[in-house]
Amino acid sequence: MIFPSPALSPGTGFYALFLQETAMGLCLFINPIKGAGDDLPDVGDHAPNIAQIDHYDLSDIDLSPYAALMLPAHLDQRFFGTLTTKIEGFLARGGTLVFNGHVAWPMLPEFETFVPLESQSLENLIIHRLADHPVFEGVDTQHLTFRRGVAGFYARGYNPPPKGAIALHGVGPDRLPCDWVYHRPEGGRILMHAGNDLWMYAGSKDSTARIVPQLCLWAGGNGDEDHEQGGAS
Amino acid sequence: MTSRIAALDGGTYYHHRTLYEPRYRDFFDGVIYTRELGETVLEDYDTLIVSCRTDPSVLRPHREKFRQFLESGRTLVIMGSTGPAEWISGIEWHFTPTNFWWWKEGGSLGLHVTAPDHPLFDHITLADATWHHHGHLIVPEGAVSLIDVGDLGSVLYDDTVTTPGRMIVTTLDPMYHHGSHFMPATTRFLDGFLPWLKGMTPS
Repeated sequence: MIFPSPALSPGTGFYALFLQETAMGLCLFINPIKGAGDDLPDVGDHAPNIAQIDHYDLSDIDLSPYAALMLPAHLDQRFFGTLTTKIEGFLARGGTLVFNGHVAWPMLPEFETFVPLESQSLENLIIHRLADHPVFEGVDTQHLTFRRGVAGFYARGYNPPPKGAIALHGVGPDRLPCDWVYHRPEGGRILMHAGNDLWMYAGSKDSTARIVPQLCLWAGGNGDEDHEQGGAS
Repeated sequence: MTSRIAALDGGTYYHHRTLYEPRYRDFFDGVIYTRELGETVLEDYDTLIVSCRTDPSVLRPHREKFRQFLESGRTLVIMGSTGPAEWISGIEWHFTPTNFWWWKEGGSLGLHVTAPDHPLFDHITLADATWHHHGHLIVPEGAVSLIDVGDLGSVLYDDTVTTPGRMIVTTLDPMYHHGSHFMPATTRFLDGFLPWLKGMTPS
């Protein structure tokens, strides 16, 4: 394990000892653009084994120490699209990419433009589990559908998955694949969530609080292992 | 004669939906990627919109460009969560915790119209500007607040006195929510706000 330079501003609770004991890979969180406001939780308070860098520092950073790259929904996708070669190299080495948000710009060959729901009726906003996955183990889909009794926070459409991806959650009666995981034949994994940052649920009071630690555990694991269960989409 | 409007694109999905999809595309005579602002000539535009949630770190190097734009008598629209105090003089913004849930808790955001005769209100209602906000502004002397929050300050004001140009400053973030397919009021706000901007007579 190569540890990142302190200059990379690792998360406040970065525990080298913990990493050595568990052979966990380090998750690199990309802080959202500064204009995104001050209303986002600090993931470092809930997942100690992470590092964080500011958005535009991604172009200069060496990704080789990291097992996973965690992208915020407030991503400058035009900027990220200039890094495709770098990101594909990271994936080819077995890296994990977690994407949140709606795909608007071409960034990777596996990405297609977001498809919004035609109608945002309550029925269309209900989240259904399509396959079990370690990230969502023990997370009640009712808690994904409703936040304080209000539906629609989790997903309002989907980013179309590539052939061979495994759909994890579907939104609405047509089970549109708002979450999916894809093992690239060229190496690496992509976890796609077509909504706000999954780490929005950090420290929540219901079963969604399980997402952040489980996400970091899964994303920091060996990307060549097949942890997923369930059928293909 | 209508105003020629340019808007900044921060590369986010919500800017993409707001600026490029058909609903509003024709309001924008130019869309400028923020990271290309330095090499973009603004002379062709009467109005420049700094889209909500644009990263102030990208705007900071262009202080002089914004200043000159206003000095030449043009209109700068500054939307919410763009950290304007970092890149333009004379803006006093105060962060307030966001109350996302006021509408479920039987409360109110405390917004009220303070200039009902202002032409913007021919295009929007207070309800169209009511979702939540992330701060309030202290209105410069001589500028006109259009919507106040309680007695704290303004969430939207119109300033034609501080510079030779015009600054329309708000803490609201309509592009983010419209672009997220979230909160219909934000779409109604843009439905009225953009035609009002477009209809301004260029100076």
